[in-house]
Order: sequence, then structure tokens, then C-alpha cells
Amino acid sequence: MCGIAGIIDPSRVADTLVNDVQNMLAQIGHRGPDGAGCVVDNGFALGSVRLAILDPAAGQQPFSDPSNRYWLSYNGEIYNYLELKSELEAMGCRFQTNCDTEVVLNAWITWGPDCLRRFNGCFSFAVYDCKTESLYLARDRFGKRPLFYVRQGNAFYFASEMKAFLAIPSISFEQDAGQLASILCVWTPLPDQTGFKEIKSLPMGQWLTLKNGDLTTESYAELRFDEEPQPNDEHAAQELIRERMNRSVELRLRSDVEVGVYLSGGIDSSIVALLAKDFSAKPLSTFSVEFDDAEFDESSDQQLISEYLGTRHCAERISYQDICDQTPAAVYHAEVPAFRSAFVPMYILSDRTRREGVKVVLSGEGADEAFLGYDLFKETLLRTSWDQLSGEVRRSRIQELYPHLAHYGPEDTAAMTGLYQQFSKERMPGLFSHELRFQNGQFSTRLLKDKNTPLAAITDLISSTPDYDALSPVEKAQWLEYKTLLPGYLLSTQGERMSLAHGVENRCPFLDPGVFSLATAINLKFDDGLREKRLLREAFRNRLPDRIIEKRKFPYRAPDAAAFAKHQPDYLDLVLSDAELAKLPFLNAAFAKRLANKVLTKPASDISTKENQTFLYLLSISLLHRSFVRRETLPRATLPPLEKVINLQRETAA
Amino acid sequence: MQQIRDFIEDQFLIEFDESFPETSDLFKEGVMDSFGYIQLIRFLEKEFDIKFSEQEMTANVMVSLSLIEKTVSRKLSESITD
Repeated sequence: MCGIAGIIDPSRVADTLVNDVQNMLAQIGHRGPDGAGCVVDNGFALGSVRLAILDPAAGQQPFSDPSNRYWLSYNGEIYNYLELKSELEAMGCRFQTNCDTEVVLNAWITWGPDCLRRFNGCFSFAVYDCKTESLYLARDRFGKRPLFYVRQGNAFYFASEMKAFLAIPSISFEQDAGQLASILCVWTPLPDQTGFKEIKSLPMGQWLTLKNGDLTTESYAELRFDEEPQPNDEHAAQELIRERMNRSVELRLRSDVEVGVYLSGGIDSSIVALLAKDFSAKPLSTFSVEFDDAEFDESSDQQLISEYLGTRHCAERISYQDICDQTPAAVYHAEVPAFRSAFVPMYILSDRTRREGVKVVLSGEGADEAFLGYDLFKETLLRTSWDQLSGEVRRSRIQELYPHLAHYGPEDTAAMTGLYQQFSKERMPGLFSHELRFQNGQFSTRLLKDKNTPLAAITDLISSTPDYDALSPVEKAQWLEYKTLLPGYLLSTQGERMSLAHGVENRCPFLDPGVFSLATAINLKFDDGLREKRLLREAFRNRLPDRIIEKRKFPYRAPDAAAFAKHQPDYLDLVLSDAELAKLPFLNAAFAKRLANKVLTKPASDISTKENQTFLYLLSISLLHRSFVRRETLPRATLPPLEKVINLQRETAA
Repeated sequence: MQQIRDFIEDQFLIEFDESFPETSDLFKEGVMDSFGYIQLIRFLEKEFDIKFSEQEMTANVMVSLSLIEKTVSRKLSESITD
């Protein structure tokens, strides 16, 4: 895994670009501590920091073809690179390394952007064509690997993480109140949003071209739910699940270094660990977070799986104090506002993983979206069929929806029925499945002086998506999850930004395109969807302990405001002091202070989920303002060992 | 009825005024969520010693301060006439 950065600026000569690109790389050195490299010429600079995983000795970047016409800075892994390499060799390509980097460049030279559809993996990369003076940027279909860019007149900057732009004084990090309104309401940035005015994210499944000053973007992988025929029967469906998951895990174990597994204690990561063990000759290492607070702790299930599979298990126990201590650093790495604190333990866990000598892990992300694991999908089914259901069925279905939330208990079922009645008709066009979430999100927009129109951006996004209207209510719910919570939080803030903060790469077998397309072909075809991920569970029933197979979805959560209320870290001044709050010009300081005071003084049982979320937003936005806007308390940037510096004007190599 | 207004203002961190009138839909404005709704119902039932039927709770009568006040007044007067 790596980090990439680059500059296109026709007005600058090669010599003046070297320092800038190296300074950008230093800001993201944590992504690739094994080495750094760059290539510069008049008008362009490309660089990368790398975490050596495949053919460590030969994978130095940027990588060029023998003619030096094409230069590649590449972040990611193409899991099917061996198959693509054979195909390219049959077409006459010759390879010097065993690295997937060389396969990516040859695939691009051979097929152009059509190569992207062939890639099964997580990636973002930049290719510069010296002959046509064109830059191409591309990102994987689910948004596993990040890529941000800034355009200022004729100058164009890009990087794996926004913090690289801290090295360019002309780039401001002004927070965008309009985007913040959308983020607060929807929970996460939309695919092109970052929360900062000047900085854009290249959406998942897209590629960008910059040529003669013209910038264009195109999609190569729309999310489709009709790409595969339905299997004949449930038995065939389960067999296919096992086949695809086997293949997916096998591909993701391709590595020249040890691969571990993040074990949550749930069914998804247990399946991943089981299959990883099937393919591993050596004992498998597994990693988990445990909590002092029993409400969040899944350690007994984690230990059960670890013992069952005989893994070398490393558990990191998280206290309220740990959350308080590490939140500022974790927010700095996340770079975007966060609505819960559960990413902070993952920051701590990746540090432990790296210290245990493991720099690649598999995890279970993507299973809930593909196989309908979230209660949100059941809630959508319930609200869709509300008018056809009897009072008795409504009541029993409501009680089964969110058993971990006390206010969904039997004594309040009548009131809940009243609430759901109000949400049984679509009120936000196209967003039916997420109306309760977004309605609650509107509470958080009260943090802003001007609430703007928080749903405008997501409404534009679905309106501009071909065939969105034709999706079923549950498919729309999935689509929204694949464009918001999954890439905007789970894979990024809680996923790769936390793991790469400590040089650990994460891989997600449930995000294999073949697994996704199979799931879309079998969901709700053999059951009513009321037992979450039923087919997935049944497919592995005889291979995992019954307790894990039967375990209900236990949302991964961590102590939110309660941790801060208990330990009152110094930086809470950012959300409690009038002077500090006044530094954020877009903030409704009176509401922010009132909320912070309530959340930090009242018992946790009096604090609602949306108040918890709103507090986390306030805290993270304030911490981001301190780091990125005011550039205070920034960690020291360190460039990894410089392995390669090529100045095409001088043709000298270090 | 002042105690209902106080409860909502205190619990949901809002203030009723010209920009946020008593007729505002508390759900649509993002003020009340499922947790808050349950808190409110429990408060009203305890404070006024009344009980809401499921029918009342499914008839969209509890979405704004003015509707809540009206519903509570009606229930109180019904209990007196009973």
C-alpha cells in the first residue's frame, strides 16, 4: 500500500517542483514508510511513498515504461494481477518485475481506461503521458483507496490524503458550510465531497483526464443490481457464496508479507478468518478491539473464534481514557467530520497490528451492504409494506428491529408504531429508506448558522444516476449505503485512514465484484429478508460455531460522548469556550455550546443518539479546524527514505 | 401547558419563537427523533396522568407543540367529564 501525490503546472520548471512534491509526500509518509520516490519534468511532478508488499525489492515508484513516456504513481493492490499479466504477456508485453505496479502500467498502455473494468482490487493511481502531456487519475469501484485534488488556475495538485496539500501554502483549507450541512445530515461526505471548499475527492469508479488544461471525469463502474442471473435454488446460491468467498479470500492473500485478520466477533469477519486459515500454511494472526464498557464489548465471541480456528490472537482493550487520548490524532488522519467515535479504537488497533509485525489485514467490511445485514434494510421492508400489515404484525416487526436500543422495547411499541406510521409514505423523493436517518441528521445541521439545503447534494446525486428510479426500495437503500456510509466512513474514516495511519493495509473480501454481483442476484429471492444475511450464515453453518452463526447483528460501536464527559480532556475547550467557538465563522455557537454542555454534564442515559452524533460532529469539525485551517498542533512531517529521484530535465537518478 | 413547552425546549435544545413557531413539525425539522419521541410520550403520560392509545399515536396528532397541547387538553377534559 502506498500514498501518491503530484503536481501539474505548465508554468513551473522541473527544479522548482522537486521540493514541493517531496514535501507533499512527507505529509503522507505514514502511508508508505518503506520508501519514497518522485519524478519531475518541466510542468509535472509525480511521487509516491510505498509500503512494500509484493516484490518489495523491485517495486520502487514512480514506475515507467522502457521509453519513459508513461509514468505511474500507484496506490493499491490489483488482486487478479497474475491473470492480467498472463493475458498481457500473451499480447506481447514483457515484464521486469513480479510487482502488480508493472501490470497496472502495462494494462493502461495496452487497454487505456478500459483496463479499469478488468481490475479486481483496491486502487487509486496517476499516469502521466509525457508525449501527450496528459494526466490520468483513477479510483477503484467501491472507493477503497482515496484520491483528492485541487485546481488553482493552471495548477493542479493531487494526493492520497488531503494533508499532503498542507505542503502547498497557496492551498487553503477553508471549511465549506454547504458541504458540512450535507455531511451532518447524511452522516458522511458524498463521493466528491471533502468538507473543504477548494478540495475535491475523485468519486469511486471514476477516472479523470487533465489535458491542455481541460479536466473531465468519467465513470467506468456504475453500481448495478442486475448483472447476474438468479441461481436455480437456495442450495445453488449457498454453493456460489462459498465459491466466490473462497476465491475472493484466496486472491486477497496474495502478498509477500504476512496477512492477518481483523476479528470483530461477528459472522462476517469470522467467515473471512475461517477462509484465510484454510489457505494459510502458517498460524493465522487475528486482531480485535475489546472494551472496558460491556455495552460495546464482543471479546467472548472474538475469543471463541480465535480458539476455534487456533489463531495467534492479539486483543487491544480500549478504555474511555484511550478514546480521549487518541481522538485528536485519529481525527487528523480521518480528515473529515465524524459522527461517532468508533474509528478511534481502530486507530489504536492498527498501531498494535503494526507493532505485532503485520502490515496487511483482511476484514469483514462490505458484507452488510451486499447481503442485507443492516437493520436499515429490514426497516425499509417494514415501512414499504406498512399499509398491508396488520397492527399485530407491525408491532412484532418493530420490536425485532433494533433490540439493542432500549426505546424499541415492548413498553414503547405503541408509540413507535405511531412514529413509523408517519414514515410509511415517501416524503424525501428517492430517499425513502433513509428518511429516518436523514430526518435525525437535520438535528445536527443546527450546528450551522445557515442550514442551507442539506439534502440538495444527495438529491442531485441520485437524480443524475441513470436507472436509480428503477431500483426497488431495498436496492435504493443499498445504493445509498454504497455511496455514503460505506465509502464515506466505514472504508475511510474507520477503515483505511486509520490503518494506513500506522502503515497497515486492509483488504475486504466482501468487496470483490463477484461477491457483490452474486449477492444482488440472491437477496430476497429465497427469503423475506427478516433474518439478516440468512443465506450467508447458512452457507457457512457447518463450518463455524453455532453461536456465531446464530448471533444477531451487533453494530460495532464505541463509547461516544460518555468518554469525553468522564475524562474532560483539555481540548474540550474547543467546544465549550466562547472564544474558541467564535473561530468557526459558520457555527451556531449558542446551540453548539448548549449541546456540548448538555452532553458533557447529563447522564449518558439522557443523551439521545442524535445528540451524541451531533457532539462528535462538533468536536471533529473543531479539531479539523484547529489542524487544517489554523494549522496548529500538526505532527511533524517525515519523508520516508528517498529511493528514487528522477529529474527528466537532467536525466540523473539518485 | 407551559411544562410541555419547557420540556421540549429543554430536551431538544430549541426555543419557540417567530423563526420556530409552535406549529413546526418537530420531526420534519429534525428536532425530535424516535428516542426523543418516546421520552416525550413518557413525560406527558406521567406529568398529566394520561395514557395515549395506539390510535392516537398513529394519527399524526403529536408532531408539533400546538398539536400536542391540543391533544393533551382534550384528554384532560375527557377525563374530567368521565
